[in-house]
Amino acid sequence: MITSEILKTRANFEEKLRKMIGRPILLIELDMFALPCGCAGITANTRGLEVDDLEVFEPQVLALVKEMAANLDVKPSVIFARLVPGSSIVASLNWRVLCSRCYPDFARGEGKTPRPDLYLLQFERRK
Amino acid sequence: MKLFVPSPGHINSLKELLKEKDKIYSIFMAGSPDYIGTGRSNLASPQLDEIAAQTEYAHKNGVKMELVLNSSCMGGRQLTPEGFRINHWYIEQLANMGVDSIVVADPYLVETMARDFEDITVVVSVLAFVDSPQKAEMFVNLGADSIVIDSNVNRHFDVLHAIRDSVDCELKLLVNEGCLYRCPFRYAHFNFFSHAFGPEPRPNVLDDYYYYKCLELRIESPEQIIKSPWIRPEDLKLYKDITDVYKIGGRTHFVEWILNCVNAYYGESYDGNLMDLLDCPKDLKDLFYIPNKSLDGILGKQWMNCKKVCGKCGYCKAFTKKVTQVYSRGGTEFEAHSPLDAFTVKA
Repeated sequence: MITSEILKTRANFEEKLRKMIGRPILLIELDMFALPCGCAGITANTRGLEVDDLEVFEPQVLALVKEMAANLDVKPSVIFARLVPGSSIVASLNWRVLCSRCYPDFARGEGKTPRPDLYLLQFERRK
Repeated sequence: MKLFVPSPGHINSLKELLKEKDKIYSIFMAGSPDYIGTGRSNLASPQLDEIAAQTEYAHKNGVKMELVLNSSCMGGRQLTPEGFRINHWYIEQLANMGVDSIVVADPYLVETMARDFEDITVVVSVLAFVDSPQKAEMFVNLGADSIVIDSNVNRHFDVLHAIRDSVDCELKLLVNEGCLYRCPFRYAHFNFFSHAFGPEPRPNVLDDYYYYKCLELRIESPEQIIKSPWIRPEDLKLYKDITDVYKIGGRTHFVEWILNCVNAYYGESYDGNLMDLLDCPKDLKDLFYIPNKSLDGILGKQWMNCKKVCGKCGYCKAFTKKVTQVYSRGGTEFEAHSPLDAFTVKA
């Protein structure tokens, strides 16, 4: 992945989010990561995005994040927002290819918020 | 003009800053969080020998050194025998090495320093929230030599004049703090910082709710940026009968950023994005472009007599829409500014 690609992806994603939400959402940092457990993926740190926005625009946001993941060649097994618990704040959107160790952590819970700081947009259950 | 200029806290920063020493009256920086913390985040935590070396270097260059120990909450530790002994010992070390002034927020430390350390200039922090002549008088009676006025009243000229008339001590204005006007998070946020950047135990916090919420509020209502009580370099002239001592906030910024502010305030002019000068919230400088020169004359014309009843007035909101641009496609060849009106901003 060359830096100009990731810069372009960040800008495009921010632009589309803004058009959808109607506010100048700031996508303050877009990171690709790899963890020692084997998980890998993308984190988009957001400012100005709120839980209400996710609830209202969930299908549209999900389509956008899938499009971005595809642009970066990431096939996520889980897509979630990280919240500041008990508030309206969405701190980040995350696309993660789960490793076999972390998969059960996500698979055990039910509903949209398996943890107070997580809001699941999509979770691919293994067969 | 006396400019108090922030330093990130290590000698290399200081050396770079003092390349502009003719414009700087005093450097200020935090000390070690192991003794008395500060109400803001810190990049460095200089130990006593490093503070001594930096104080000596500043003095050799004709610049004063100020230490900021302005924790807004010490959890009552300062009132315990051990806390008193440690704080007293630490201040004594700073005094012995020639530090010129110490900034504190706790009234107890104001009185203690005034009684026991004659050579130190006792400065009341902006985090003591001195926003009235009565409070200023009380701090002077405790022994304050200098007061940084609560920036919330930076545009309340009646209050500023009343404070000036009530005390003889030095008054300082923090010119570039971009905090929300009458911020509801102010006390909680500074108390959080005081513990996070104070002695152990320090909270291990993943997300700073107050900061994120502050950004969220401004993205929803960008006029909050315009309402913040910063003072533009061009407007310092309107404060000359109150004080000529100004403090630039921003000790977590790069030296280049700090020197840009020094040059702007020393020269009393800045032709660029107002957001470049505000020490917080720094993340929004990549979101909003507000031409500083578009604010020429507004302090005198509008804000000096503002009644602060925003619901009835609406001036700042309308003005923000008129001048604020939003960066789009940042970091690419297509980066541009769009008018704020291009977005449907929540009321």
